[in-house]
Amino acid sequence: MSDIQVGTELPTVEQASTLTTSVMYAGASGDMNPLHFDPDFAGQVSPTGGIIAHGMYSMGLASRVLTAFVGDPERVLDIEVRFTRPWPLGTTSTFGGKVTDVSDGVATVELTGTNESGERILRGRGHVRV
Amino acid sequence: MALNRDKVGTTYPAYRYEVSREKIREYAAALGESDPRYFSEGDDCVAPPTFAACFTVTKGGAEAFADPNLGTHPALVHGSQRYEFGGRALRPGDVLVCTPRIADISARGSNELMVLEVECRHEATDELAVRSQATIVFLGSAPAADEEGAA
Repeated sequence: MSDIQVGTELPTVEQASTLTTSVMYAGASGDMNPLHFDPDFAGQVSPTGGIIAHGMYSMGLASRVLTAFVGDPERVLDIEVRFTRPWPLGTTSTFGGKVTDVSDGVATVELTGTNESGERILRGRGHVRV
Repeated sequence: MALNRDKVGTTYPAYRYEVSREKIREYAAALGESDPRYFSEGDDCVAPPTFAACFTVTKGGAEAFADPNLGTHPALVHGSQRYEFGGRALRPGDVLVCTPRIADISARGSNELMVLEVECRHEATDELAVRSQATIVFLGSAPAADEEGAA
């Protein structure tokens, strides 16, 4: 992968959040916070008044952008994200990345998650061996 | 009530986590992954990078959240998350020893930020498997002295 250029835009991952995706992620990750599947509980405590997706689900989707790009999860050296907005169920978010640096065989990728209104739900960065 | 800042630097008891093929498969399916290695029955099976969520988020915070002297409360959100990986992806049968530590507590406006680190090492070799750093935002509990003049 020696032809990676600064400015390269990575293929995006688009995902609708549903009760099914949220319950699957809760069970798979072990994060059973009812904020992510119980409408009554979410109605009381959620910043949006309704169920929101796990932040870690959005991080997992951002990570998919990285692994699909390098073709091997073992090439991912680190990944960090900030959860900047809640992701309500029933909405679609798009995850993307852009190469901002390539040096010594390591590419820096700026990661974003964007909601249907164009607002960022996630911002982050990953380093991958290229 | 504010978090107890004397707890910065506190290490909680280590816990073990055994990576299993079925859990890797379940996690990869939940993310809609298509890489066949995540679903493999063979020696090439590996876990996706954020599989670390399975043993660093709920398990990683359990001891800290149960500590009556730390003073956590339920009004919280996950602010940010970082994973630094060891030299190879996790595989079925890997046994990890995970040590949680309170790395920092600070105020931002009326909220408090607690940084929880979990260092996970391979039990067999003591090599780093993954280092997790979670920033948890506790809403509204910052001490008044810190709140003054905050942005």
